[in-house]
Parts: sequence; C-alpha cells; structure tokens
Amino acid sequence: MVVALHTLTGALYLVACLASGAGLALGSARAMRVAVGALAAGALAHGLTFSLLHTANPPPPLTDLAWAASLMSWIGTLAYLALLRRTRVSGLVVLVAPMAFLGVFLAALRLPGPVEATTAGSASLAHAHVLLASAGFALLGLAGLCGALFLAEHRRLKRRQALPGSGLPSLESLDRAGAVALAIGFPLLTLGVVTGAMWVHAARESWDGNAHEIGALVAWCLYLLLVLQRFAVHQGARRCAISALAGFALLSVWVVGVEVLA
Amino acid sequence: MKLLLLGMNHRSAPLDLRERLAVNEPGPFVQKLVACEEIEEAVLLSTCNRVEVVALTRSPEAARLRLRSFFRRELGGDPVLQERGLDEALYEYRDGEAMRHVMRVAAALDSMVVGEPQILGQTKEAYRAAVEAGACGPILDRLYQRAFAAAKRVRTDTRIAEGSLSVARVAVGLARQIFEDMSGKRALLIGAGEMAELALGALRDAGVASLAVANRSAERAAQLAVAYGATAHGLDELPRLLAESDVVLTSIGGDRPILRVDTLEPALRARRGRPIFVIDIGVPRNADPAIDRLDDVYRYDIDALAAVASGNAEERRREQARAEAIVAEEQQRFEGWFAALRAVPTIRDLRGRVESIRARELERSLPRLGLDDETREAVEALSRALVNKILHAPLARLRHEAEREEGMAYLEVARLLFGLDEADGESGAAAQGPPDADPEES
Repeated sequence: MVVALHTLTGALYLVACLASGAGLALGSARAMRVAVGALAAGALAHGLTFSLLHTANPPPPLTDLAWAASLMSWIGTLAYLALLRRTRVSGLVVLVAPMAFLGVFLAALRLPGPVEATTAGSASLAHAHVLLASAGFALLGLAGLCGALFLAEHRRLKRRQALPGSGLPSLESLDRAGAVALAIGFPLLTLGVVTGAMWVHAARESWDGNAHEIGALVAWCLYLLLVLQRFAVHQGARRCAISALAGFALLSVWVVGVEVLA
Repeated sequence: MKLLLLGMNHRSAPLDLRERLAVNEPGPFVQKLVACEEIEEAVLLSTCNRVEVVALTRSPEAARLRLRSFFRRELGGDPVLQERGLDEALYEYRDGEAMRHVMRVAAALDSMVVGEPQILGQTKEAYRAAVEAGACGPILDRLYQRAFAAAKRVRTDTRIAEGSLSVARVAVGLARQIFEDMSGKRALLIGAGEMAELALGALRDAGVASLAVANRSAERAAQLAVAYGATAHGLDELPRLLAESDVVLTSIGGDRPILRVDTLEPALRARRGRPIFVIDIGVPRNADPAIDRLDDVYRYDIDALAAVASGNAEERRREQARAEAIVAEEQQRFEGWFAALRAVPTIRDLRGRVESIRARELERSLPRLGLDDETREAVEALSRALVNKILHAPLARLRHEAEREEGMAYLEVARLLFGLDEADGESGAAAQGPPDADPEES
C-alpha cells in the first residue's frame, strides 16, 4: 500500500512536471493550473504515504536519506502550496514539481529493500531532528528555487527578452516568497541543528566533529549571515536571490553530499 | 511629376541614429526643401520611431541626391553621419510604393507596435506643419487626405486598434513582470507630451496607487495632473520623487539623459533594494543606458518595447491583412487621381485651343452682325455652351483613360488630332489654365 501510494505520488508529481513544462513552453495558464492541481494531488497522496509509513514491514526510518529526501520534497511542496495563498508564485511550479518528483524518485530507488537503522540513542530526538531539519531544508530549498527563478527572470528582463503573459511569477512575488521561505526555514533549520546536537549528546555524550556535523554548523552560520543581510541590512533582491541559491547549494553539498559520500 | 520618399525607421536604423536626426519643428526644414528647384512639395515626419521626407519632384534623381544630402547635413548636421551607416539606414520609395508607405504609416501598419494610436496624430501634425510652411501643395495634400481616410477606415473597419499593444500598455505588461501588484505602486511621469499622456492613462488603468507628473513646464504638468488625478511637480523635485516611485516613465525633450547612474543611485539607496522600472519613450533617450548596470533598475527604451511587442502581435497581424486591403484600395484611388494629372496639360491645351478659336471667331463675326448688347451676350453664351457640350465627352474620356497605364496613347492622339504641339500662328498662345488644375475639375 505504501509503495503503491508512493508510486502514485511520483506519477502525480511527474504529471505536474510535464504540465508545467507545457505551460511554460506554450504560455498556457490552463496548463499551469493543471500542474498546480497535480502537484496538490501529489502532495495529498504523499501525505497519505507518510501517514501509512508505520504499516510498512519493516517501517523505514526517516533518518534514512532517501526517505528524508521524500519527506523534504513533501514539506517543500506543502510550503509552496501554502505560499500560493499569500503570494502570486504559481509559476514557480516549473521548479517545485521537478524537485518534488526527484525527492520521491530517490526514495523509490530504495523501496522496498531493507533500510538501515540509524537511530542510535534517543529515537524521538532523532526523528525530531530529521523532521525539523528536513522542514528547514525544504523551506530553504524553496527559497533557493525562488532565487533561481528570480535570477533567470532578472536576466531576461535585463536583456529585454521578457515576455508578458509567460505565466512566470513577477520578481517581486519571487522575492517575497523567498523571504517568507527563508524566515520560516531558518528557525526550523536552527531547531534541527539544536535537536541534532541533543541527539548526538544523548547518543555519544560527546561531539566528535564529523563532516556532517561540521557542515551543518557551517551552513547554519552562513544562513545566519544571509538572514541578517536580508532582514537587517536590506540588500538588493538580486543579491538576496544569489545568496539563497548559493546557501541552499552549500547546504545540499555539505549536509546531504557528505552523508551520501559517507 | 514623381513621388519620392526617403527615410529611416525603427527597423532600418538604431535608436541613437534616429535620435540624431529627430526634429521637433519640421516647418523650417520643409521650407528649405521646397526652396530647392528639384522639389515642388514636401512633408517631413519626425517621430521617435521614424524620420521620413515625402517629396514631389519633376526630376527624381536630382531630388534623391538632394534629400540624401538633406538628411546628412540639415537633419544630422554632421557629415560624419555618412560613415555611421546613415546611407545604409535610409530607405527609398517611389510613386506607388511611396503612396502605399505614407498610407501604411498613417494607418499604423508600419509602426513598431502595429495599430498604435499615436502615429495618426503625429502624421497630421507633420502635414499641418508642411501646410503652414507652404510646402504642401495640392498633390501631397490629396495624398495625405487619402492617407487619413485610409487610417480612419482601418481603425473603424478592423480590430487592429483593439487590444493592449500600444507602447504604453506593453510597458504596463512588463511592469507586471517586475511587480506583484500594481495597486500599491507609485508611478512617476517625467515629461508631458502626447505620448506621455497616453502612458499616464495606461498606468492609471493598470491601477497604480498614485501618479506624479514632473515637467519643465509646471503649467502643463498641472494640466495633466488634473486630468489624470496625479500630483504635479517641477523637475527640481526629481530626487525625492525617484526615491518614492516604482515605475518611472520618461518622455521629455532634451539633449542630455535625465536619468543617470548618479541620479538613480541615491534613490535606490533610499528604496532599500526595491526595484525601479524605467520606461524610456523619449527620443533622444531620457535614460542613460549606463543605468543598466544598477541591479534594481530595469530600463526599457522604445526599441526594447518594440521587441517585446512583436512577440505579442500575432493576433493583430491577422487583422493587419484586412487593413492592408483597405490601404491598397485607398492607394488605388489616389494613384488613379495622380495618374489623371497626366491629362491636365492636354486638357488645358485643348480647352485653350478651342476657347481661342471661339473667341477669335466671335470677334470676327459679331461686328458684322450688328447685334444689340442683349443678343450679343446670348450669342456668346451659345458659343460657350456649344464648346462645352462638344468638349465634355472627349475630355471626360481623356481623364478616364489617363488613369490607366495605356492612357498615354489617348493623350498623344488628342494632341496630334488637335495639333496641340504645333505652333498656333492664328490663335497665338493657347490660353493657360491654372498650373495645379485638378483633372476632376477641368
């Protein structure tokens, strides 16, 4: 059942990818709406998948990177759908849908095989860390996607290649959505780092400074800098977009990349 | 008589070259043109997208050279312009093509944004200036009347003027790519010309929160402000206004750009990273292209707006085919009238010849008849009526045939039959009609 639902989620996200691509290529608002609808349906199926995860035998731990990626894509999708209520960024679906599909696809590669049990120490702290860090990571990822699309649109406008009616969000919408995602994502990441430290302390009673932990700490410090620049210094929107994209890339490489290589 | 049109537009010449050649007052220039012996009549149209001269001439080659020199020396004021690609940028149309071009321009079919409403008014202004300068004679007058009629028909009989593709409205569409919602935005208009007024209307329709007009002439700014619910300002308030404005639209005269890096940087600092969309519809440009390097400034000049508009114009192009048919119809009507002008000398000579015979015969016969005044007048009226009745059909036929390509044969036969090219020893010189006689009135 879990596998079937997860496959359905992937299929719906794929439909969203294709519809958003068609919408962008044809300048069709209807195709964009279909893409958002498919993404919402996928998020629903994705939520059902997670709610039934405990019925799987054996239940996969969220600390597994593949499932964590699936969780991040789900939270990222939910965050995007929530942002749609406050900002006009429906066109961002052209980036969110492929990322959501990628997360599910990565998790599907590990299904239904055996999974590693990595929850040494307190399982609740481990799950809290994964949930909070994944949520933070997903939202910061969303901020990065906003930044990427902002930079692409900024470039088109500067080069005078903009096409009114393309269905892509305005620069202001992308900047605002990126700011909201960053404002929520950074505290979640902070909580993730804190719970992670508590989990490490509970498991090993000492900090051994492995690559994952150092990477997470460095990324958090850099994001702190980014948040300060954005909300205290009020740097320009393009620089904010570059920072959001670069920050997310760094976070991905250090936290996820180190984990994969390990 | 031949029609010759020389000019450059947004397709043939870059903006900086058009800027150099643009003139605000065409009157003195066309006066200079018609003072040349090669050119009988002339109209000069100078807008932000085109500079064109249409001229009537008896010697097209000499007129062509004269017009090229005029563009180089009088308009450009710089012989070096030739090296900067002026010759390559100039296009030439003659006779039928020139007529068609004038009509297409007036009907906004040759515009950067097809169907835009401003060009008809600008064409009328150019025509009026030529008339006032005494440079527009009966033939160009007729051509422009037909062009205005064609433009009116195109606007009323086709949907080409509908939609949202005027330059100003394209600019508003672009603003929506930068800003999430126009309702909270402030717009600043620098300048107060006709183009600026249209743009102001488009911004108001887009729902901007507040409009401000800054102009050299406070009076004109105040007029616009009252009409559009905006606030009026002088140019000295520009630094403060720039810091407050999200959309800045410029359409003001002047040799030096009014928006430069040094004027925008303080405004951007005050705006704390909020972007400014600069729409520069002025010619010469009001915004220095160097402001492109400022991150939060998006500058679109008139050429850039054209490039965006062309991506949206497919629907309108369908209507364009209908509009082109209307222009072709009006062109045919004018061409017919213009060709009929060939019959004027023959008709004038023929009338003169017959009139002189009538006058001479009356002069010879009346004294011998010994008539009283009343009868004498009756006989004179009778002779005139006879002449008119006899000439009516052949002259009408000549006029009709002259409109056709092969009509020249009829004119030659008429001249031969009546000996119009032979010396008239008996009657003396044929009576001369008016030099610009209308063939329909002959």
